Amino acid sequence: MTFQALYTLTDLRVILRETAPQHSLDETQRAQAQRLLDNLERQVASLKQEILK
Amino acid sequence: MRCGIGIEARQVNELFVNIDPIQAGGRLTADAMKAVIAYGDGYSVCDNCRKPNRLDYINKPPIAEFHRDVAAWLNMDAVRVVPGARRGFQAVANTYIRKGDPVLLTSLSHYTEFLAIEETRGIAREIPHDTSHKITADATATKIEEVMREFGRMPVLAFIDHVDYQYGNMHDVKAITKVAHHYDIPVLYNGAYTVGILPVDGKDLGVDFVVGSGHKSMAAPAPSGVLGATRERAAEVFRTTAIEGDMTKRIFGIKEPEMMGCTLMGATLVGMMASFPQVKERVKHFDRELDNNRIVLEALLSVSGTKILSEYPRNHTLTRVDTVASFDKVAESHKKRGFYFSSALEEKGIVGVIPGATKVWKFNTYGTTSKQAAFLADAFVTIATENGLTLNT
Repeated sequence: MTFQALYTLTDLRVILRETAPQHSLDETQRAQAQRLLDNLERQVASLKQEILK
Repeated sequence: MRCGIGIEARQVNELFVNIDPIQAGGRLTADAMKAVIAYGDGYSVCDNCRKPNRLDYINKPPIAEFHRDVAAWLNMDAVRVVPGARRGFQAVANTYIRKGDPVLLTSLSHYTEFLAIEETRGIAREIPHDTSHKITADATATKIEEVMREFGRMPVLAFIDHVDYQYGNMHDVKAITKVAHHYDIPVLYNGAYTVGILPVDGKDLGVDFVVGSGHKSMAAPAPSGVLGATRERAAEVFRTTAIEGDMTKRIFGIKEPEMMGCTLMGATLVGMMASFPQVKERVKHFDRELDNNRIVLEALLSVSGTKILSEYPRNHTLTRVDTVASFDKVAESHKKRGFYFSSALEEKGIVGVIPGATKVWKFNTYGTTSKQAAFLADAFVTIATENGLTLNT
Protein backbone atom coordinates (compact mmCIF):
# COMPACT_ATOMS: atom_id res chain seq x y z
CA MET A 1 0.00 0.00 0.00
CA THR A 2 2.92 2.36 0.70
CA PHE A 3 4.20 1.88 -2.83
CA GLN A 4 0.73 2.24 -4.31
CA ALA A 5 0.30 5.64 -2.70
CA LEU A 6 3.80 6.75 -3.71
CA TYR A 7 3.18 5.59 -7.26
CA THR A 8 -0.11 7.43 -7.41
CA LEU A 9 1.70 10.58 -6.32
CA THR A 10 4.31 9.87 -8.99
CA ASP A 11 1.60 9.78 -11.65
CA LEU A 12 0.35 13.12 -10.35
CA ARG A 13 3.90 14.44 -10.53
CA VAL A 14 4.04 13.52 -14.21
CA ILE A 15 0.84 15.48 -14.87
CA LEU A 16 2.53 18.49 -13.25
CA ARG A 17 5.51 18.01 -15.56
CA GLU A 18 3.39 17.69 -18.67
CA THR A 19 1.44 20.83 -17.88
CA ALA A 20 4.27 23.04 -16.54
CA PRO A 21 4.48 25.91 -16.01
CA GLN A 22 0.83 26.98 -16.10
CA HIS A 23 -0.71 23.72 -14.91
CA SER A 24 -3.93 24.43 -16.76
CA LEU A 25 -5.21 20.91 -17.18
CA ASP A 26 -7.39 19.94 -20.12
CA GLU A 27 -10.48 17.79 -19.60
CA THR A 28 -8.65 14.47 -19.96
CA GLN A 29 -5.90 15.55 -17.57
CA ARG A 30 -8.44 16.82 -15.04
CA ALA A 31 -10.29 13.50 -15.15
CA GLN A 32 -7.01 11.61 -14.73
CA ALA A 33 -5.94 13.82 -11.84
CA GLN A 34 -9.33 13.37 -10.17
CA ARG A 35 -9.08 9.59 -10.50
CA LEU A 36 -5.54 9.59 -9.08
CA LEU A 37 -6.51 11.81 -6.14
CA ASP A 38 -9.51 9.57 -5.36
CA ASN A 39 -7.21 6.53 -5.45
CA LEU A 40 -4.74 8.30 -3.22
CA GLU A 41 -7.40 9.03 -0.62
CA ARG A 42 -8.42 5.38 -0.59
CA GLN A 43 -4.79 4.25 -0.36
CA VAL A 44 -4.05 6.62 2.51
CA ALA A 45 -7.19 5.43 4.32
CA SER A 46 -6.05 1.81 3.94
CA LEU A 47 -2.59 2.75 5.19
CA LYS A 48 -4.11 4.36 8.28
CA GLN A 49 -6.09 1.22 8.96
CA GLU A 50 -3.11 -1.08 8.49
CA ILE A 51 -0.47 0.91 10.33
CA LEU A 52 -2.54 2.29 13.17
CA LYS A 53 -4.61 -0.83 13.94
CA MET B 1 10.77 21.54 0.99
CA ARG B 2 13.89 19.52 1.82
CA CYS B 3 14.76 15.88 1.21
CA GLY B 4 17.80 15.96 3.51
CA ILE B 5 19.81 18.48 5.48
CA GLY B 6 20.59 21.29 3.09
CA ILE B 7 19.13 19.42 0.13
CA GLU B 8 16.18 21.16 -1.45
CA ALA B 9 13.70 18.94 -3.26
CA ARG B 10 14.27 19.56 -6.97
CA GLN B 11 11.11 20.67 -8.76
CA VAL B 12 12.61 22.14 -11.91
CA ASN B 13 10.60 19.96 -14.26
CA GLU B 14 7.38 20.29 -12.27
CA LEU B 15 7.42 24.09 -12.12
CA PHE B 16 9.11 25.07 -15.38
CA VAL B 17 9.49 24.13 -19.02
CA ASN B 18 13.10 23.03 -19.00
CA ILE B 19 14.96 23.50 -22.28
CA ASP B 20 18.45 22.73 -20.96
CA PRO B 21 20.30 21.23 -23.92
CA ILE B 22 21.67 18.23 -22.02
CA GLN B 23 18.73 17.48 -19.73
CA ALA B 24 15.87 17.06 -22.16
CA GLY B 25 16.16 13.36 -23.05
CA GLY B 26 17.10 12.20 -19.58
CA ARG B 27 13.92 13.22 -17.78
CA LEU B 28 12.49 10.13 -16.16
CA THR B 29 9.30 8.42 -17.19
CA ALA B 30 6.75 7.73 -14.45
CA ASP B 31 7.84 4.07 -14.43
CA ALA B 32 11.49 5.06 -13.94
CA MET B 33 10.53 7.32 -11.02
CA LYS B 34 8.65 4.40 -9.48
CA ALA B 35 11.62 2.08 -10.04
CA VAL B 36 13.93 4.59 -8.35
CA ILE B 37 11.63 4.64 -5.31
CA ALA B 38 11.68 0.85 -5.04
CA TYR B 39 15.33 0.21 -5.98
CA GLY B 40 17.13 3.10 -4.28
CA ASP B 41 19.02 0.89 -1.85
CA GLY B 42 22.60 0.00 -2.77
CA TYR B 43 23.01 -3.43 -4.42
CA SER B 44 19.22 -3.57 -4.78
CA VAL B 45 19.36 -5.62 -7.97
CA CYS B 46 21.58 -8.24 -6.40
CA ASP B 47 18.95 -10.09 -4.30
CA ASN B 48 18.69 -12.83 -6.88
CA CYS B 49 22.23 -12.84 -8.24
CA ARG B 50 23.25 -16.48 -8.69
CA LYS B 51 26.22 -18.16 -10.35
CA PRO B 52 27.93 -17.14 -12.59
CA ASN B 53 27.49 -13.94 -10.53
CA ARG B 54 27.43 -11.27 -13.15
CA LEU B 55 25.00 -8.41 -13.58
CA ASP B 56 23.94 -9.31 -17.10
CA TYR B 57 22.97 -12.82 -15.98
CA ILE B 58 20.44 -11.72 -13.33
CA ASN B 59 16.90 -12.76 -14.21
CA LYS B 60 14.99 -11.09 -11.37
CA PRO B 61 14.58 -8.20 -12.03
CA PRO B 62 14.90 -9.11 -15.74
CA ILE B 63 18.36 -7.64 -16.33
CA ALA B 64 19.52 -10.46 -18.61
CA GLU B 65 16.47 -9.99 -20.80
CA PHE B 66 17.06 -6.21 -20.85
CA HIS B 67 20.60 -6.76 -22.16
CA ARG B 68 19.28 -8.99 -24.94
CA ASP B 69 16.48 -6.53 -25.77
CA VAL B 70 18.79 -3.52 -25.96
CA ALA B 71 21.22 -5.43 -28.20
CA ALA B 72 18.37 -6.39 -30.54
CA TRP B 73 16.98 -2.84 -30.47
CA LEU B 74 20.36 -1.34 -31.44
CA ASN B 75 21.01 -4.22 -33.84
CA MET B 76 24.30 -5.06 -32.16
CA ASP B 77 25.44 -8.50 -31.00
CA ALA B 78 26.20 -7.77 -27.37
CA VAL B 79 25.43 -4.98 -24.94
CA ARG B 80 26.60 -4.02 -21.48
CA VAL B 81 25.25 -1.27 -19.26
CA VAL B 82 27.83 1.31 -18.21
CA PRO B 83 27.93 4.28 -15.81
CA GLY B 84 27.47 6.86 -18.56
CA ALA B 85 28.55 7.01 -22.20
CA ARG B 86 32.00 8.15 -21.09
CA ARG B 87 32.61 4.81 -19.40
CA GLY B 88 31.75 3.15 -22.67
CA PHE B 89 34.35 5.31 -24.44
CA GLN B 90 36.83 4.42 -21.72
CA ALA B 91 36.27 0.66 -22.03
CA VAL B 92 36.81 0.73 -25.79
CA ALA B 93 39.78 3.10 -25.54
CA ASN B 94 41.46 0.89 -22.93
CA THR B 95 41.04 -2.12 -25.18
CA TYR B 96 42.48 -0.70 -28.39
CA ILE B 97 44.74 2.26 -27.66
CA ARG B 98 48.33 1.96 -26.48
CA LYS B 99 50.81 4.72 -25.62
CA GLY B 100 51.59 6.86 -28.67
CA ASP B 101 48.83 5.43 -30.85
CA PRO B 102 47.03 7.94 -33.07
CA VAL B 103 43.27 8.04 -32.53
CA LEU B 104 40.65 9.79 -34.64
CA LEU B 105 37.86 11.93 -33.33
CA THR B 106 36.35 15.14 -34.65
CA SER B 107 36.54 18.87 -34.16
CA LEU B 108 33.05 18.60 -32.62
CA SER B 109 33.77 15.64 -30.33
CA HIS B 110 32.75 15.61 -26.69
CA TYR B 111 35.54 16.21 -24.17
CA THR B 112 35.11 12.78 -22.58
CA GLU B 113 36.29 11.17 -25.82
CA PHE B 114 39.49 13.20 -25.53
CA LEU B 115 39.88 12.14 -21.90
CA ALA B 116 39.37 8.48 -22.78
CA ILE B 117 42.25 8.81 -25.28
CA GLU B 118 44.40 10.76 -22.83
CA GLU B 119 44.00 8.11 -20.17
CA THR B 120 45.50 5.51 -22.50
CA ARG B 121 48.24 7.96 -23.54
CA GLY B 122 47.04 7.85 -27.12
CA ILE B 123 47.30 10.89 -29.39
CA ALA B 124 44.13 12.67 -30.51
CA ARG B 125 43.75 13.74 -34.12
CA GLU B 126 40.63 15.64 -35.12
CA ILE B 127 38.72 15.38 -38.36
CA PRO B 128 37.83 19.01 -39.16
CA HIS B 129 34.23 20.08 -39.73
CA ASP B 130 33.26 21.91 -42.89
CA THR B 131 31.80 25.40 -43.10
CA SER B 132 28.35 24.11 -42.20
CA HIS B 133 29.76 22.41 -39.10
CA LYS B 134 29.42 18.93 -40.53
CA ILE B 135 31.91 16.08 -40.47
CA THR B 136 32.15 14.42 -43.87
CA ALA B 137 33.52 11.16 -45.26
CA ASP B 138 35.90 13.11 -47.49
CA ALA B 139 37.35 15.02 -44.52
CA THR B 140 37.74 11.69 -42.74
CA ALA B 141 39.72 10.18 -45.63
CA THR B 142 41.94 13.25 -45.83
CA LYS B 143 42.63 13.16 -42.09
CA ILE B 144 43.46 9.45 -42.14
CA GLU B 145 45.98 10.07 -44.92
CA GLU B 146 47.49 12.92 -42.90
CA VAL B 147 47.78 10.70 -39.82
CA MET B 148 49.45 8.00 -41.90
CA ARG B 149 52.02 10.50 -43.11
CA GLU B 150 52.58 11.83 -39.59
CA PHE B 151 52.76 8.53 -37.71
CA GLY B 152 53.60 6.02 -40.43
CA ARG B 153 50.60 3.95 -39.35
CA MET B 154 46.82 4.02 -39.16
CA PRO B 155 44.76 5.42 -36.32
CA VAL B 156 43.77 2.53 -34.06
CA LEU B 157 40.22 3.75 -33.40
CA ALA B 158 37.75 6.42 -34.52
CA PHE B 159 35.19 8.12 -32.27
CA ILE B 160 32.35 9.55 -34.36
CA ASP B 161 29.43 11.46 -32.85
CA HIS B 162 26.22 10.97 -34.81
CA VAL B 163 24.77 14.20 -33.40
CA ASP B 164 27.32 16.55 -31.86
CA TYR B 165 26.79 18.43 -28.62
CA GLN B 166 27.84 21.81 -30.01
CA TYR B 167 25.43 22.30 -32.90
CA GLY B 168 23.17 19.28 -32.64
CA ASN B 169 24.10 18.58 -36.27
CA MET B 170 23.69 15.11 -37.70
CA HIS B 171 26.79 13.65 -39.33
CA ASP B 172 26.89 10.92 -41.98
CA VAL B 173 28.24 8.15 -39.75
CA LYS B 174 27.50 5.46 -42.32
CA ALA B 175 29.66 7.09 -44.99
CA ILE B 176 32.38 8.00 -42.47
CA THR B 177 32.45 4.41 -41.20
CA LYS B 178 32.81 3.08 -44.73
CA VAL B 179 35.92 5.23 -45.16
CA ALA B 180 37.35 4.26 -41.76
CA HIS B 181 36.78 0.57 -42.43
CA HIS B 182 38.50 0.92 -45.79
CA TYR B 183 41.60 1.64 -43.69
CA ASP B 184 40.72 -1.10 -41.14
CA ILE B 185 39.96 1.42 -38.40
CA PRO B 186 37.25 0.33 -35.95
CA VAL B 187 34.52 2.91 -35.36
CA LEU B 188 32.85 3.83 -32.10
CA TYR B 189 29.47 5.46 -32.72
CA ASN B 190 28.76 8.07 -30.06
CA GLY B 191 25.00 8.04 -29.73
CA ALA B 192 24.75 10.16 -26.59
CA TYR B 193 22.19 12.37 -28.36
CA THR B 194 20.56 9.69 -30.49
CA VAL B 195 20.23 6.35 -28.67
CA GLY B 196 16.82 6.68 -26.99
CA ILE B 197 15.90 9.72 -29.06
CA LEU B 198 15.68 8.44 -32.61
CA PRO B 199 16.07 5.01 -34.27
CA VAL B 200 19.65 3.65 -34.26
CA ASP B 201 20.66 0.55 -36.20
CA GLY B 202 24.29 -0.35 -35.55
CA LYS B 203 24.56 -2.95 -38.31
CA ASP B 204 23.03 -0.65 -40.89
CA LEU B 205 25.51 2.07 -39.90
CA GLY B 206 28.26 -0.56 -40.07
CA VAL B 207 29.89 0.57 -36.83
CA ASP B 208 31.86 -1.61 -34.43
CA PHE B 209 30.53 -0.05 -31.23
CA VAL B 210 27.42 1.87 -30.26
CA VAL B 211 27.52 3.97 -27.12
CA GLY B 212 24.39 5.54 -25.63
CA SER B 213 23.78 7.71 -22.61
CA GLY B 214 21.01 6.69 -20.22
CA HIS B 215 20.86 9.99 -18.38
CA LYS B 216 21.15 12.10 -21.50
CA SER B 217 18.80 10.31 -23.86
CA MET B 218 17.18 7.19 -22.37
CA ALA B 219 15.04 8.70 -19.60
CA ALA B 220 17.29 7.12 -16.98
CA PRO B 221 18.98 8.27 -13.78
CA ALA B 222 22.67 9.29 -13.87
CA PRO B 223 25.16 7.86 -14.36
CA SER B 224 23.92 5.30 -16.85
CA GLY B 225 24.52 4.27 -20.44
CA VAL B 226 24.94 1.38 -22.82
CA LEU B 227 27.83 -0.02 -24.82
CA GLY B 228 26.96 -2.26 -27.75
CA ALA B 229 29.45 -4.20 -29.85
CA THR B 230 29.59 -6.50 -32.85
CA ARG B 231 30.33 -10.15 -32.12
CA GLU B 232 33.96 -9.78 -33.17
CA ARG B 233 34.55 -6.65 -31.08
CA ALA B 234 32.54 -7.94 -28.12
CA ALA B 235 35.05 -10.75 -27.72
CA GLU B 236 37.74 -8.09 -27.34
CA VAL B 237 36.13 -5.37 -25.25
CA PHE B 238 34.05 -7.74 -23.12
CA ARG B 239 36.86 -10.26 -22.64
CA THR B 240 36.76 -12.06 -19.30
CA THR B 241 39.33 -11.86 -16.54
CA ALA B 242 42.45 -14.01 -16.65
CA ILE B 243 44.19 -12.74 -13.54
CA GLU B 244 45.10 -14.99 -10.62
CA GLY B 245 46.30 -14.22 -7.10
CA ASP B 246 49.83 -15.56 -6.64
CA MET B 247 49.25 -16.51 -3.01
CA THR B 248 45.56 -17.31 -2.77
CA LYS B 249 45.30 -18.58 -6.36
CA ARG B 250 41.98 -16.80 -6.54
CA ILE B 251 40.43 -16.33 -9.94
CA PHE B 252 37.36 -14.27 -10.74
CA GLY B 253 35.10 -16.28 -13.00
CA ILE B 254 33.57 -14.43 -15.91
CA LYS B 255 33.98 -10.90 -14.61
CA GLU B 256 34.98 -8.47 -17.36
CA PRO B 257 37.98 -6.19 -16.63
CA GLU B 258 36.76 -3.32 -18.82
CA MET B 259 33.47 -3.32 -16.91
CA MET B 260 35.31 -3.61 -13.57
CA GLY B 261 33.00 -6.53 -12.81
CA CYS B 262 29.44 -5.36 -12.42
CA THR B 263 28.50 -1.83 -13.42
CA LEU B 264 25.05 -0.43 -12.56
CA MET B 265 23.78 -2.20 -9.47
CA GLY B 266 20.65 -0.38 -8.38
CA ALA B 267 18.30 2.48 -9.20
CA THR B 268 20.30 3.62 -12.24
CA LEU B 269 19.87 0.31 -14.04
CA VAL B 270 16.30 -0.41 -12.98
CA GLY B 271 15.34 3.18 -13.84
CA MET B 272 16.76 2.69 -17.34
CA MET B 273 14.98 -0.66 -17.65
CA ALA B 274 11.67 0.77 -16.46
CA SER B 275 11.81 3.56 -19.08
CA PHE B 276 12.88 1.24 -21.88
CA PRO B 277 9.42 0.28 -23.25
CA GLN B 278 8.51 3.97 -23.57
CA VAL B 279 11.94 4.83 -24.95
CA LYS B 280 11.58 2.15 -27.64
CA GLU B 281 8.24 3.65 -28.55
CA ARG B 282 9.26 7.31 -28.46
CA VAL B 283 12.11 6.92 -30.95
CA LYS B 284 9.48 6.05 -33.57
CA HIS B 285 7.90 9.47 -33.12
CA PHE B 286 10.89 11.76 -33.38
CA ASP B 287 9.10 13.66 -36.15
CA ARG B 288 6.72 15.06 -33.49
CA GLU B 289 9.72 16.35 -31.56
CA LEU B 290 11.03 18.07 -34.69
CA ASP B 291 7.58 19.62 -35.23
CA ASN B 292 7.68 21.11 -31.73
CA ASN B 293 11.24 22.30 -32.29
CA ARG B 294 10.13 23.98 -35.52
CA ILE B 295 7.37 25.90 -33.70
CA VAL B 296 9.97 27.37 -31.33
CA LEU B 297 12.55 28.06 -34.03
CA GLU B 298 10.07 29.86 -36.25
CA ALA B 299 9.20 32.11 -33.32
CA LEU B 300 12.87 32.82 -32.64
CA LEU B 301 13.52 33.51 -36.31
CA SER B 302 10.62 35.94 -36.33
CA VAL B 303 12.69 38.16 -34.04
CA SER B 304 14.73 40.33 -36.38
CA GLY B 305 18.46 39.54 -36.27
CA THR B 306 18.21 36.01 -34.84
CA LYS B 307 20.19 33.33 -36.65
CA ILE B 308 20.17 29.54 -36.37
CA LEU B 309 23.76 28.30 -36.24
CA SER B 310 22.81 24.62 -36.42
CA GLU B 311 21.95 22.97 -39.73
CA TYR B 312 18.52 24.09 -40.88
CA PRO B 313 15.97 22.59 -41.33
CA ARG B 314 16.76 20.69 -38.18
CA ASN B 315 17.42 16.98 -37.87
CA HIS B 316 17.64 17.17 -34.09
CA THR B 317 16.02 19.18 -31.32
CA LEU B 318 19.32 20.35 -29.76
CA THR B 319 19.83 23.71 -31.43
CA ARG B 320 22.41 26.50 -31.30
CA VAL B 321 21.28 30.03 -31.99
CA ASP B 322 22.98 33.38 -32.50
CA THR B 323 21.09 36.30 -30.97
CA VAL B 324 23.89 38.87 -31.09
CA ALA B 325 21.78 41.05 -33.38
CA SER B 326 18.57 40.56 -31.38
CA PHE B 327 18.39 39.66 -27.67
CA ASP B 328 21.99 40.72 -27.05
CA LYS B 329 21.21 44.25 -28.26
CA VAL B 330 18.86 44.62 -25.29
CA ALA B 331 21.60 43.45 -22.90
CA GLU B 332 23.79 46.42 -23.87
CA SER B 333 21.51 48.85 -22.05
CA HIS B 334 19.41 46.68 -19.73
CA LYS B 335 20.02 47.15 -16.00
CA LYS B 336 20.37 43.38 -15.60
CA ARG B 337 22.76 43.28 -18.59
CA GLY B 338 22.76 39.83 -20.20
CA PHE B 339 20.94 38.31 -17.27
CA TYR B 340 17.71 40.01 -18.26
CA PHE B 341 17.05 37.26 -20.80
CA SER B 342 17.22 34.17 -18.56
CA SER B 343 15.50 36.20 -15.86
CA ALA B 344 12.59 37.10 -18.17
CA LEU B 345 12.35 33.47 -19.27
CA GLU B 346 12.29 32.26 -15.68
CA GLU B 347 9.57 34.74 -14.79
CA LYS B 348 7.50 33.18 -17.54
CA GLY B 349 8.24 29.64 -16.28
CA ILE B 350 11.10 28.65 -18.58
CA VAL B 351 14.56 27.47 -17.49
CA GLY B 352 17.56 25.86 -19.13
CA VAL B 353 19.19 28.79 -20.96
CA ILE B 354 22.53 29.63 -19.34
CA PRO B 355 22.04 32.74 -17.15
CA GLY B 356 23.72 35.72 -18.80
CA ALA B 357 23.84 34.18 -22.27
CA THR B 358 22.42 36.46 -24.96
CA LYS B 359 24.92 36.05 -27.78
CA VAL B 360 25.20 32.37 -28.70
CA TRP B 361 23.28 29.76 -26.73
CA LYS B 362 21.77 26.32 -27.03
CA PHE B 363 18.46 24.82 -26.12
CA ASN B 364 16.63 21.55 -26.56
CA THR B 365 12.87 21.21 -26.95
CA TYR B 366 12.91 17.41 -26.73
CA GLY B 367 10.05 16.04 -24.64
CA THR B 368 7.93 19.17 -24.65
CA THR B 369 4.24 18.81 -25.45
CA SER B 370 2.91 20.80 -28.42
CA LYS B 371 1.20 23.11 -25.92
CA GLN B 372 4.52 23.71 -24.17
CA ALA B 373 6.22 24.33 -27.53
CA ALA B 374 3.60 26.96 -28.37
CA PHE B 375 4.10 28.45 -24.91
CA LEU B 376 7.87 28.65 -25.49
CA ALA B 377 7.37 30.26 -28.89
CA ASP B 378 5.03 32.86 -27.45
CA ALA B 379 7.41 33.59 -24.56
CA PHE B 380 10.37 34.32 -26.86
CA VAL B 381 8.31 36.64 -29.05
CA THR B 382 6.80 38.39 -26.02
CA ILE B 383 10.22 38.98 -24.43
CA ALA B 384 11.44 40.40 -27.75
CA THR B 385 8.53 42.83 -28.13
CA GLU B 386 8.54 43.82 -24.45
CA ASN B 387 12.16 44.86 -24.91
CA GLY B 388 11.63 46.82 -28.09
CA LEU B 389 13.01 44.32 -30.61
CA THR B 390 11.40 44.24 -34.02
CA LEU B 391 9.67 41.25 -35.52
CA ASN B 392 10.07 40.18 -39.14
CA THR B 393 6.85 40.61 -41.01
